[in-house]
Amino acid sequence: MSAIVETGGGGKGDGKVRGKKLNTNVDMTPMVDLGFLLITFFMLATTMSKPTSMTLNVPDKTEKVETEPLKASKVLTLFLGKNDDVYYLDGVAADDPKAEESLKTTRFGSDLRSVIFESSKRINAAYPKDEKGFGAFVVVIKPLVVSTYKNMVDVLDEMAITKSKKYALVDELTDSEKKLLGDKAKP
Amino acid sequence: MAIVKPKKHPPHMDMTPMVDLAFLLLTFFIMTATFKTNDAEVNTPSSVSTIKVPDDKIMIISIDKDGKVFFGVDAQSTRISMLDNIAQSKGITFTDLEKKKFSLQSSFGVPLNQLKAFLNTPDAQMAQIKQPGIPVDSTGTSQLADWVYAARKADPGLRIALKGDNIAKFPVFKDVLGNLQSQNINRFNLITASEQAPAGFSMD
Repeated sequence: MSAIVETGGGGKGDGKVRGKKLNTNVDMTPMVDLGFLLITFFMLATTMSKPTSMTLNVPDKTEKVETEPLKASKVLTLFLGKNDDVYYLDGVAADDPKAEESLKTTRFGSDLRSVIFESSKRINAAYPKDEKGFGAFVVVIKPLVVSTYKNMVDVLDEMAITKSKKYALVDELTDSEKKLLGDKAKP
Repeated sequence: MAIVKPKKHPPHMDMTPMVDLAFLLLTFFIMTATFKTNDAEVNTPSSVSTIKVPDDKIMIISIDKDGKVFFGVDAQSTRISMLDNIAQSKGITFTDLEKKKFSLQSSFGVPLNQLKAFLNTPDAQMAQIKQPGIPVDSTGTSQLADWVYAARKADPGLRIALKGDNIAKFPVFKDVLGNLQSQNINRFNLITASEQAPAGFSMD
């Protein structure tokens, strides 16, 4: 009881002044938590696949180029209908009496692709190449009013896949085509 | 005899490498992130094309699934001068605040006569507004043509990209095409998603 505990001043009593040892370990857990939260957020918010683009060149409407009319026997005509149906006339004009029976239906994808390949093979074999080295095969694409944007992109894509260099996107139907397609072309 | 007690330490792991890695990833994702905007929601069809859409100097005409047409330009300064051009040609004046607000819209689809009202709606309500789309007609001389003209006047180097929805009907696309062709624009980029090319196919 008689001993008086020294307080303050020098500290431990041996006279040496010692700085208190600070704990240098910072708790990083909250920072890590936050870091990973942000990572998760940005991972989910980022879209990795960048959209691609395909180029479409359309002929100038203002300048009239005189061209000879296409021979129906060199042309594959594709009509894009509703419900992703494709009607096609292979080497037959719409005003031909045989047109009605030769109008066939196909689907997008490999079916359409084989139609294009077959037609181009047959036509390119039957006719000589033109002066620019292209085959005689021409595709005329006619999207009907009931077709969608996707149909059009798909068919242009098909042109790229089958390497059909000569194709035309035509949006107007001739009278005989209207008659031939009948209800299929109506909305 | 004194018992040697092992000093009690809380188990401690060095988290520094993990933190390094975490922040490296964080930085990466922040850099690559592209933010969702209040654009029209468009599900683009896919194509085998491998050409990337250019990031800048581009105007995007979107067609949503109902056939509504939206228009957007990438740079904010271009947006303001585009608005100035259209205001000049149509005899409308916009306040600085309206211009500022317009420059923040990445794309819009409001007819010209509703544009002022649209720009004056409070920010919070702006996202909820159902935009009616820019009027486009088949004659090739509609408001879309005016906007395209104003945008090209603001920056002649703009490229034109069309972004259509899968189920948008073809006639809308045809009308948009007509509007562009009336200004002698004959080359477009169609924005699509990428798709695996069929086997044996090579791009050349």
